[in-house]
Amino acid sequence: MNLSLLQSAAADNRWAALFPELPLALLALLLLVLEIVLPKRQHRSIPVVAILGQLALLVALLVNLRGGMTEQLTFNGLIRHSPTGQFFRVLFLVTSLLVSLLGVVSLARQRMPRVEFFHIVMIVSAAMMLLVQSHHFVMFFVALETVTVGFYILVSYYRTNPLSLEAGLKYLVMGALSSAMLLFGIVLLYGAVGNPALAPSGLAAGAMDFASVRQFLLAHPDNFLAQVGIVLVLSGVAFKIGAVPFQIWVPDVYQGAPTPITAFLAVGSKAAGFGALVVLAGVFAPCKSLVIPVLSVMAGATILFGNLAALTQYNVKRLIALSGVSHAGYLLIGVIAAYYDPAALSGVYFYLIAYLVASFAVFGVMTHVSGENEADQELEHYADLARTHPFLALVLVIGLGSLAGIPPLAGFIGKLMIFLAAFSAGLYVLLGIAVLGVVISIYYYFGWIKAACFSAWRLPAPAGEAAAGLPRTPVAWPARVTLGTLAVASVVLGLWQGPLIGWLLAR
Amino acid sequence: MTIGLNDYITLSVILFALGFLGVLLRKNTLVIYMCLELMLVASTLALVAFSRFHGMLDGNVFVFFILTVAAAEVAVGLAIIVALFRRRQTVQVDELNALRD
Repeated sequence: MNLSLLQSAAADNRWAALFPELPLALLALLLLVLEIVLPKRQHRSIPVVAILGQLALLVALLVNLRGGMTEQLTFNGLIRHSPTGQFFRVLFLVTSLLVSLLGVVSLARQRMPRVEFFHIVMIVSAAMMLLVQSHHFVMFFVALETVTVGFYILVSYYRTNPLSLEAGLKYLVMGALSSAMLLFGIVLLYGAVGNPALAPSGLAAGAMDFASVRQFLLAHPDNFLAQVGIVLVLSGVAFKIGAVPFQIWVPDVYQGAPTPITAFLAVGSKAAGFGALVVLAGVFAPCKSLVIPVLSVMAGATILFGNLAALTQYNVKRLIALSGVSHAGYLLIGVIAAYYDPAALSGVYFYLIAYLVASFAVFGVMTHVSGENEADQELEHYADLARTHPFLALVLVIGLGSLAGIPPLAGFIGKLMIFLAAFSAGLYVLLGIAVLGVVISIYYYFGWIKAACFSAWRLPAPAGEAAAGLPRTPVAWPARVTLGTLAVASVVLGLWQGPLIGWLLAR
Repeated sequence: MTIGLNDYITLSVILFALGFLGVLLRKNTLVIYMCLELMLVASTLALVAFSRFHGMLDGNVFVFFILTVAAAEVAVGLAIIVALFRRRQTVQVDELNALRD
């Protein structure tokens, strides 16, 4: 290896192209430095720095939105920049910002170190951005593992609470198992793609580059080793999005984790999984005859399981976890439909936006209603919410209505776009299952709304005792502004989504 | 007798299957954790064998990344297991069932 070769390799490292990722990671490091440098009584300002810093990054990213959209490969083909990548960058930055805001509310009730929470949330968000833009299996694996290991820590963050730790352990075992399966799948694909006997002309970019894998699958779509590899890689990704049969961790981990982290898992981890799945679906496109049946069975089973299991839940965190499983099923239908018509992906992206907005509205309310033990949030704790906290109840109703897909709200448009794509792709069986799932889901979402809006009969409190119920956290103005914006966004995106859909379609 | 690619891959698949079954069947969290590491090592073995027989180095380089990731995973995982043991005085999976329907 001579010097000029190294120089030409280094010339491809365009650090400026990693705009939101690199500053986000640096901001995360800055928080740790601030914790060392600042005197103890000024530590309260560190979360403010985290939130304002992310807000500034978001504004800078939106101003420069067009600039990062040119399709190009950087870092010797490790990263592929694209408009889709730019979309996911915005999505993950918004997620990270909202998780930090909820984190402030939730951490105020705990005696825990604060700074590391924001640090890890930001590092994980940066890794998610890299994950959906990766163009090489090494980059893919390392980014995915950064996300996963970060989530192990975040899920068990409230380490004085045994439930949080138990959830962390369950996520650890399941996450490591899925990573190992994904890794073995990558190795088998590498073994097939790199085989000199099958690709005599040699590979330009190495056997783990996505372009090489796709080129190999075009030439040998029924290579047995590669097919086993594809199924294992898809299984690993299915763990992340919580699709059946890899959903067993979802209710337990969502219940035990701190509520802001539950939101991060539900929105961020799922969106990252779908971003990765969309990239991989393109790479594996030559093996359609294998991938489509696998994903279709997963999608149907996921929708039915998620909705039926959510029917019997009284703990709201388990309920939202299982309903999240069913949302993964609807999104999977969109990914399958994209094999017949690539425009279906805009439906998937719009659904992700609507899901983000609605979920964070609901999780924001959950964070405020919860007590110190965040695993213990039952439907009955929501009794009389509409009377005591009309603002929270209104946000909750809009969020849940959007998740259920009630017409004027954003969730309805998302479902409509995916169902229309499925209809024009001819996926009638899946479409039937999905419509059935939506009907079932209305039952449990409205059960929750009913618990919050209509007062149930209770034993009158004995004289001299305060009325039963959890000490609800008062809503501070930043949370009020955020929740209000999310609720308004759900309504506005439902009524008027012209430019957004135009932009999503034009990509 | 020469040892060929197939022998390495067979060994790797056997190790992977042993690890997988261990995760599903064993009850002690630490043993489960060792089985998870066994699965990673099985992948590494196959990767090195493929890399050698393809005559390319990129597989060997990937092994370093896998080792680093595995080390990070162990550091976090053992910390969680120790913290859990301090709270619950057990690492048996069937006794850690506070979260369920």
